[in-house]
Amino acid sequence: MSSQAGWNSVTGIATKLLDGSPLAIAIAILIAFGVPVFLHIVFYRAAASPPSSNFLLLGPSGAGKTAFTTLLEAKSSPASKKSQLTHTSQASTLVSVSLPPTVPTASNRYRSVNDPSLKDASRNPIRYCLKDTPGHGKLRTSQGISELQSMSSSKDVKTKIRGLLFMVDTAALVDEACLRDAASYLHDVLLVLQKRSMGKGKSSTKREAEIPVLIAANKQDLFTSLPPGSVREKLEAEIDRIRKSKTKGLMDASMDTGLETEEDVLGDDDAQGVFTFKLLEQVGIKVDVVGGAVKGDPQEEFGSGVRRWEEWIGMCL
Amino acid sequence: MLEAFEILTTSGVVLWSKTYAPVGSHVINSLINDVFIEEKVVPQGASAGVSPIFKKEKYTLKWKRVKEFNLIFVAVYQSLLHLGWIDRLLENISTIFIDLYKDQLKGNRTRITAYRFDPYFEQQVRELEDNTGSVAETYPAETGEKKDPLVLSDNGGPPPPPVPGLMKAQPQAALAGATSDEGTPLATPDTSRSSTPVGHILAGKAGPGGRLSRRAKKLQNVSSNASSGDETSRKGKAPKGSAKKGRKWDASGYADEDDGEILDYSAPADDAEPAAPAVEAISQDDWGRRTGKGQFVLKELGDEVHDILDNADAEKSKGNASSGIVGSGFNAVGGFFRNIVGGKTLTEADLQKPLKAMEDHLLKKNVAREAAVRLCEGVERELVGKKTANFQSVDTALHIAMEASLRKMLTPTSSLDLLREINAVTAPTTKQHAPRPYVMSIVGVNGVGKSTNLSKICFFLLQNKYKVLIAACDTFRSGAVEQLRVHARNLKELSVRDGAGDIELYEKGYGKDAANVAKDAVDYAAAHKFDVVLIDTAGRRHNDQRLMSSLEKFAKFANPDKIFMVGEALVGTDSVMQARNFNAAFGTGRNLDGFIISKCDTVGDMVGTLVSMVHATGIPIVFLGVGQHYGDLRGLSVPWAVSLLMK
Repeated sequence: MSSQAGWNSVTGIATKLLDGSPLAIAIAILIAFGVPVFLHIVFYRAAASPPSSNFLLLGPSGAGKTAFTTLLEAKSSPASKKSQLTHTSQASTLVSVSLPPTVPTASNRYRSVNDPSLKDASRNPIRYCLKDTPGHGKLRTSQGISELQSMSSSKDVKTKIRGLLFMVDTAALVDEACLRDAASYLHDVLLVLQKRSMGKGKSSTKREAEIPVLIAANKQDLFTSLPPGSVREKLEAEIDRIRKSKTKGLMDASMDTGLETEEDVLGDDDAQGVFTFKLLEQVGIKVDVVGGAVKGDPQEEFGSGVRRWEEWIGMCL
Repeated sequence: MLEAFEILTTSGVVLWSKTYAPVGSHVINSLINDVFIEEKVVPQGASAGVSPIFKKEKYTLKWKRVKEFNLIFVAVYQSLLHLGWIDRLLENISTIFIDLYKDQLKGNRTRITAYRFDPYFEQQVRELEDNTGSVAETYPAETGEKKDPLVLSDNGGPPPPPVPGLMKAQPQAALAGATSDEGTPLATPDTSRSSTPVGHILAGKAGPGGRLSRRAKKLQNVSSNASSGDETSRKGKAPKGSAKKGRKWDASGYADEDDGEILDYSAPADDAEPAAPAVEAISQDDWGRRTGKGQFVLKELGDEVHDILDNADAEKSKGNASSGIVGSGFNAVGGFFRNIVGGKTLTEADLQKPLKAMEDHLLKKNVAREAAVRLCEGVERELVGKKTANFQSVDTALHIAMEASLRKMLTPTSSLDLLREINAVTAPTTKQHAPRPYVMSIVGVNGVGKSTNLSKICFFLLQNKYKVLIAACDTFRSGAVEQLRVHARNLKELSVRDGAGDIELYEKGYGKDAANVAKDAVDYAAAHKFDVVLIDTAGRRHNDQRLMSSLEKFAKFANPDKIFMVGEALVGTDSVMQARNFNAAFGTGRNLDGFIISKCDTVGDMVGTLVSMVHATGIPIVFLGVGQHYGDLRGLSVPWAVSLLMK
C-alpha cells in the first residue's frame, strides 16, 4: 500500500527515491558513472574524426586513375604489395588509404624534427579517403562532375572535399584529340570550382575552404611522355582555345525555356587575355602540375613514382 | 582454347585473372566501353542460360554480370574455336567465386584481398574441357557417361607396342614392389605416370564386369608396375575415396541415392584387389594431363567445388519450389509493405506493370516502339535483383533508373565543339598538317530541312568570321540550287551588314553527278582559301537502295570531315530505320558524325525522336533546329531533353 501511495504524490516520490532501495542506488550509480563515460565517448568521437579528408580523383579515361587508387590501396595495406590490373571503370568507388609516415603533412609543418610526438604520428599513419571516378565521356557528367558538385557544396564535414586530383596521361597528350578531351574535362571541372568560389564570395563574408587542384601528370616513366611544365603549357593553351570558342558557340536548347543559367567564363570575365592557371588564383583555386608515374621502374621501391603526389596530398591535410 | 579469364569489378579493378595467351587489355576495355557504357553493341543471344557474346578483333568474349557484388566475369577465347562449355564455365566460376569470397566481397577490402582462386579455376576448366564433345543438358550426368567411351576404346584396341618394353624396363621395381604397396625408392614412378600406353592398358578398370577378368590378369602381370609408383598409389587412394563422394551429386544434381549406378566401375575395382586404385590414378593422369601431385589437390578441390555448385543448385530449386499458397500470401503482404517502406528486392514480376506504364509513357513522347521496348528492357535488366532504397517505391526506382539511362544515352562520348575542330583543321598548331578547308556535308530524307539547317549552320559560322563555301550538290530536284542561291544571297547581305565572314555558292547546275560536284567544290575551296565547305545533298528515301548507294561514292569523293544527318522531330517510328540506313550508307569505316533534329519547335515536349535516333545508332545529336530564323539553331542540352521526356 505504502509503495502505491508513494508514487502518487510528489512527496511520496521524493521519499521513495530517497529511501535506500537497491534500485534507486543502482540507478544513481549508473548515472554517476555512466554520464562521464557517455560524455567522454561523444566528445572523443567528435574530436577523433578529422574535419574532412576526402580527395576526388578526376580525369579522362585511360589516365591511370583506377591504377593509382589500387596502388595506394596496396601500399597502405600490409598484406599485398602488388597493385592489380585495371580496366575502364563504370562506377566510382571510395577507398580509404593511409599516407606513408615519411610524407610530411601540413598540420605537422611547424613541428620540430626532433619533436618526440612525431614518432607517434608515424606509428599511426594518417588516413584519408580517395574517390575514384570513371573518366569515360558518357559517365563524366553523371558521376565525375556531379560528385564534385555535391562534395564541394556539402556542409557535412564527413563528405566535404579537401582537394582535387586531376589525372592526365602525359604520353597521350601529344595527340590532338586526347589533349582536347582532357582539356575540356579540366575546363568543366575548373568552371565548377570557380562558380563555387564566386558564389560563396557573394553570399557570405566567411570564405569557404579553398579546394586546391593537382594536375597529376601520370605516365612519366614512358619515353614519349611530356614533362609537367609542358603539360601545363599545353593544357593552358587548349583551355584558352576552349574558352574562346565557348563564348562564340551556340546556345543550348535549354536557354529558350527560360531557365536562366548564366554561362560563365573561366578566368577573367571577358576572356580577352591568354588563359593561365595563375588567373584562377584570384578566385582562390590553386593549380599545381606535378609529374609522377603509377607504374614506375620495377627496380625502384614499390610505388615510389607517386611519392610527389602523396606529398601534395600531405600538404593538404 | 581459352585465352584469358578475368574477374573484375564495375569500378575497373581486376580481382583475379588467368591468362593462357597474352590478350591486350584493350580487348576487355572495348567490351566495357561498347557494351556496358555506350551500349553501342547489342549483346547477342542474351537469353536465359546463355551468356551474351561480344566479338573484338580475333577474340570472342563472353561475360556474366553479378549485380549484387558488382562483378563481371569475362572469358576471352579465339573466335575460330567453338567452345560450348564457356557458358557453363562462367556460370560455375561465378557461383564458386562468390561462394568462396562472399565475406571479402561484401567488406570494403575487396580490392586488396589476394584471391587464391587458381586451383579452383583449373579444376573447373579441366572438368569442363574433358566433358566437351556433346553439349549435354546436365553436365554432371555427362561426366559419368563421357568417361566410359574413353575407357572402352582404350580397352578395345590391341595393346600398344611399347608396353612390353616398359615392363621389361622395370623388373627391379616389380621384384621390390610386388609384395608391398609401400614400394621402394628404386621404383620409377615417373615412367609409370608419364607413359601413356601403360595408362591406357591400366584404364581397364572402368569396363563392365566382363572386362574385369582380363584387366585382372593384366594387373597381375603389371601389378608390380602399378604399385611400384609408391607415391602414386598412395595418392591414388585418396582420389578414389573422394571421387566416390564427388559422384554423389553427379547422379541427378542433388540426390545421392543413385550413387551405386555411377560408381559401378569403381565398386568392382574395390573388390578385386587393393592395387586397383593405383590403376585408376594412373589412367586419369593420362586423360586429364594431371601430375600425380596435382591430382591430390584437384580431387579435394573437386569435392569442394561440387559441394558449392550443389548448394547453389539446391537453393535455386528451393527458391522455385517455395511458392505455396501460404508463402505467396505472406510474400504478397510483405511485398506490399516493402513497396511503401523500401528495401524491397525487385523481381521481374514487380517491374512488369510499372515498366508497361513507362513504355506507354515513352511511346506517348513519340519514342519509336523499338527504342522504347529496348530501353525498358535495359532498365529491367539493371533493376532486377536490386534493392530499393528506404521509402522508395518501385515506381520511383524505375523512374530514376530510366532517367539515368536516358541521360547516359543522350550524353555524347566526346562533346562536339565545332569551332574548335574547324580551327584545328584550318589553322593546325603542328607543322605536320597543312591547312585545308573543313568539309561538312548534310544528308537526310526529303523535306526534313537539309538546306534550311545548312544555311543556319552557315549563318553561325559566318558570325564567327569564317569564309564559307556552299556547294549545291542537289543536282536532282528542280529549284534546289535556286533555293540555296536565295539563302546565299540573304546570308551575304547579313554578313556584310554585320561585318562578319564571307560566303560564296558553288553551283554546277542540274543533272551532274553529285559526288563529282562535291569533289570539285572541295578543290575549289582549297584553292581559294575557304575555311569551311558546306555540301548540300539531294534528299533521298532511306529505303531506296538505288539512291542510297550513291552516298558511298559521295563520301569517298568529297571525304567530308563531318557528315550530319537531318531528321525531323515529327517523324515517329520510322526514325530508327532512317538513322540506321543512313548510318550504313557510307560504306564500311565511315559513319554519320551526328544528327541535326529539325522542327523541334513544332512538337512541344514530344521529343522522342532524339531518343530513337541516338538509340538506333549510338551517334550523338549535335544541333537542334528550333525555329524559322537563321539564328534558331541550338546545341543539345541533355538535362533539358531528359526533363521533357520524363515529364
